Amino acid sequence: MTNLSPLPGGADESAPPVGGTTDPIATAPRRGRNGLRALLPSWSPKLGIGLFLVLGIALFGIVGPPFFPNPNAIDPIGMTEPSGEYLLGTTQTGQDVLAQLAHSTRGSLQIGLLVGVLATLLSALFGIVGGYLGGAIDEGFSLFTNVMLVIPGLPLVIVVAGFVPAEDRGWWTVALVLAVTGWAAAARVLRAQTLSLRNRDYVAAARVAGEKRWRIVSVEILPNLLPLLASQFVFAVIAAILAEAGLSFLGLGASNSHTLGTMLYFAQNGFALQYEAWWWFVPPGLLIALFGCGLALINFSIDEIINPKLRITRQVKAVGDVAEAAVAGHEAVTESSPDERRDDLVLTVRGLNVVYRSERPVHAVKDVSLTLRRGEILGLAGESGCGKTTLAYAINRLHRPPAEVTEGSVTFHDRSGQDIDLLALENEELRAFRWSKLSMVFQGAMNSLNPVITIHEQLDDVLTTHEPGMSKEERRARCAEVLTLVGVDPQRLDSFAHELSGGMRQRVMIAMAMLLNPQVMIMDEPTTALDVVVQRGILREIIRLRDELGFAVIFITHDLPLLLELTDRIAVMRAGEIVEYAPAEEIYASPRHEYTRRLLESFPSLTGDRGSFIRTGESASRTEPPAASANERAQP
Amino acid sequence: MRYYVRKLGFYLVALWAALTLNFFIPRMMPGNPVDALLGKLQQRGGQVGPEVRESFEALLGSDSGEPLWNQYFTYLGNLARGDLGIATSAFPAKVSDVIGQSLPWTVGLVGIATLLSFALGVVLGAVVGWKRGSWLDHLVPATTVLSAVPYFWLALIFVLIFSSQLGWFPLNHGYDVALSTGWNWEFISSVIEHGTLPALTIVVSSVGGWLLGMRNMMVSTISEDYILTAQAKGLRNRRIMSRYAARNAVLPSVAGFAISLGFVVSGSIITEQVFSYPGIGSRLLSAVQNSDYALMQGIFLVITVAVLGANLVIDLLYGAIDPRTRVEN
Repeated sequence: MTNLSPLPGGADESAPPVGGTTDPIATAPRRGRNGLRALLPSWSPKLGIGLFLVLGIALFGIVGPPFFPNPNAIDPIGMTEPSGEYLLGTTQTGQDVLAQLAHSTRGSLQIGLLVGVLATLLSALFGIVGGYLGGAIDEGFSLFTNVMLVIPGLPLVIVVAGFVPAEDRGWWTVALVLAVTGWAAAARVLRAQTLSLRNRDYVAAARVAGEKRWRIVSVEILPNLLPLLASQFVFAVIAAILAEAGLSFLGLGASNSHTLGTMLYFAQNGFALQYEAWWWFVPPGLLIALFGCGLALINFSIDEIINPKLRITRQVKAVGDVAEAAVAGHEAVTESSPDERRDDLVLTVRGLNVVYRSERPVHAVKDVSLTLRRGEILGLAGESGCGKTTLAYAINRLHRPPAEVTEGSVTFHDRSGQDIDLLALENEELRAFRWSKLSMVFQGAMNSLNPVITIHEQLDDVLTTHEPGMSKEERRARCAEVLTLVGVDPQRLDSFAHELSGGMRQRVMIAMAMLLNPQVMIMDEPTTALDVVVQRGILREIIRLRDELGFAVIFITHDLPLLLELTDRIAVMRAGEIVEYAPAEEIYASPRHEYTRRLLESFPSLTGDRGSFIRTGESASRTEPPAASANERAQP
Repeated sequence: MRYYVRKLGFYLVALWAALTLNFFIPRMMPGNPVDALLGKLQQRGGQVGPEVRESFEALLGSDSGEPLWNQYFTYLGNLARGDLGIATSAFPAKVSDVIGQSLPWTVGLVGIATLLSFALGVVLGAVVGWKRGSWLDHLVPATTVLSAVPYFWLALIFVLIFSSQLGWFPLNHGYDVALSTGWNWEFISSVIEHGTLPALTIVVSSVGGWLLGMRNMMVSTISEDYILTAQAKGLRNRRIMSRYAARNAVLPSVAGFAISLGFVVSGSIITEQVFSYPGIGSRLLSAVQNSDYALMQGIFLVITVAVLGANLVIDLLYGAIDPRTRVEN
């Protein structure tokens, strides 16, 4: 998981371990030789049907023709319906439709394949080479590609075909023309992907190491583009077969050759439609459709390699719904720990368990119990992957399948004195509860804002949904008010996310979280991606606002020293479990758990010696590459 | 602002490339189209003065030894004046008039059908992508079958079923030829009646592509952080789907709409042929069959310019719906 990804949507901790990477290329193997297996589509019924159709039709076209009589042989009895003698009937001039079909399939496949190869080569040349070399060559190639793309292909082909006398139109001429007019769209996609690959660390590393250009392109870049190239090739073949059929149907195809298109041409001109001779014009079209459909189904599987998000994660169904059972058992949690006064609490989490129900289930949160007092800042510390984000999401029931709460309870003690069992809320109740009583500030505000609508619309959304009684002016005033609270100029209301700096976006998110005066705010690494000065400013702001407005905060971070300054109490989490839960001073002065001590020691101190960086290979809960955790820290 | 200037610049380059292509194709091909044309013209009783010959030579090239460069400028000059030559197959009509007659038919049919198919595909795709994992997922492979079907073949099947067998729609033509053209209800209803089946063909065979593209983008968009934020905000699902997910997911489809217009036009040319629709596609084919080179070139130019123009409009629209494009350079 690289944080340098140019695509929006960095990987977040809560993502399930399977198919959780948001970056399409990141999951492709870095080098072809390391994981050729991963490049092969995984088996699915779709792929099976697709392969069956494509191989079956290809076989019919390749092996079939010799078994059938001469397709041009004329029989005096024309237009006969399918019978024992002619399995698919005859044409107007008495030719065997089945024999024609076999020869035509061969002809269409020939052209499709040739065009597929040619078009893929052209698109690779203009897309990959241009994208990799960059500079003037790329500009030129890209302009040429775009021009070719917008000039409509078929009319061009028709005009060209119109100038070439029929006797000069061989099947390879047609293939050449189709390839030249059909490569541009693929080249554009390939260029975009090459550009993104070019900027990856391992390519940069190869460049620095002085590898030759052709070697970088063929060894580092090409293997990662293979699935995409395969998909483009499949598309090119479908498109070519369709285009050739169209051209032949218009009487402009290759002369003296049998393709499915010419068959349809003769059917149309032999009045097959008027005689309702379905056996003549249905089979060729159906064959094209089935072949195209088979290729498209294969493409589905390839697409899922290119973009893992498209994969449907199969969820292993639990025996009975444990969550429901657990919820039912905790209908009324009114008892509270003797040492905590009941009316002081705003949130109680008891024995919460969250499991990712994938093929290899991951127990991400184990028996977590927490309490949050009114106006308190509770810190939740732990390394990445320890389950802290999963816990935060589960509290607000934002976890997505395959994550599932298997046991435990979350109770919200409302200001009104009412207890709300969060795990038992119905859809509409849950929706109304969210944000009005408990709001969240997410990790990486960069992507938490909708990029295409203004800040004002996104703030306003909350008010129109939760406070339908407010007038337009009141809503606008309230939005301006919260922005002022976090120190953002209200004139920024009509800005879009990309017009704001990172710090400002995070402030906007905090402002948004305060819109409805919630009693609890969950902040998940709200400042991790910001530089230290901005981080300071925002933290001070949070403390000031808490003092003014009195909401409670659950503050999640891996940065334990920061929590020591900021929070009242700290829970240290490791591998899904809370290993230590105590007031901040106590954690600082006398950490009881070995892990807490190591966490504390790992940070460099201003006075003492430099701490040793412990978050290396010993990631406790999930087997994650060490780079991932180090990276998180290393990116201010 | 810079975005718009760049886009405009690009389309000027594309237009120039199309014009130049149009200039060189007949000159690169074997044979002498000018002589063939003039011969045909004379057969039909046209008077071939030197100026007619010159006009055709500017369009199609000549062996007169005039430098290519001069020919090129004469050609551009003639185009600028709207002089596309004379359509031999419809002598003595001018190419521009012939195109003017058939263009509205194509724009009406293909335009409406394409917009319908795009809207339908995007809306269905958004819903299918949003309800991912439900039974709706089975719609996806079904639509790919439809998009793998050749346009014209589907048209043939539709004609067989709906016109020949069921008699719901007329077999072909753009309107009832017994009626005189005019803006009266009788004529308009006849146009609608005749246009429905061709339009249906275009919609059915192109809707799958939009649906699939939108569905895939929707699935990608749903895992974005701002969707999670919207859910945490307690917004209603319908609103999250439309304003947060679909609003972002539609962007590549809109960009793709521009690119695919060329393909749509290509497909519809053949569809027109099946229905003998009096549009520009049928005209192009009859021009090819009659070796009416001037008309062929004129139609190719018009189609290209129309597609480029539509692309430009969509690009400008894209700038309006994606605020990020306006600042990036």
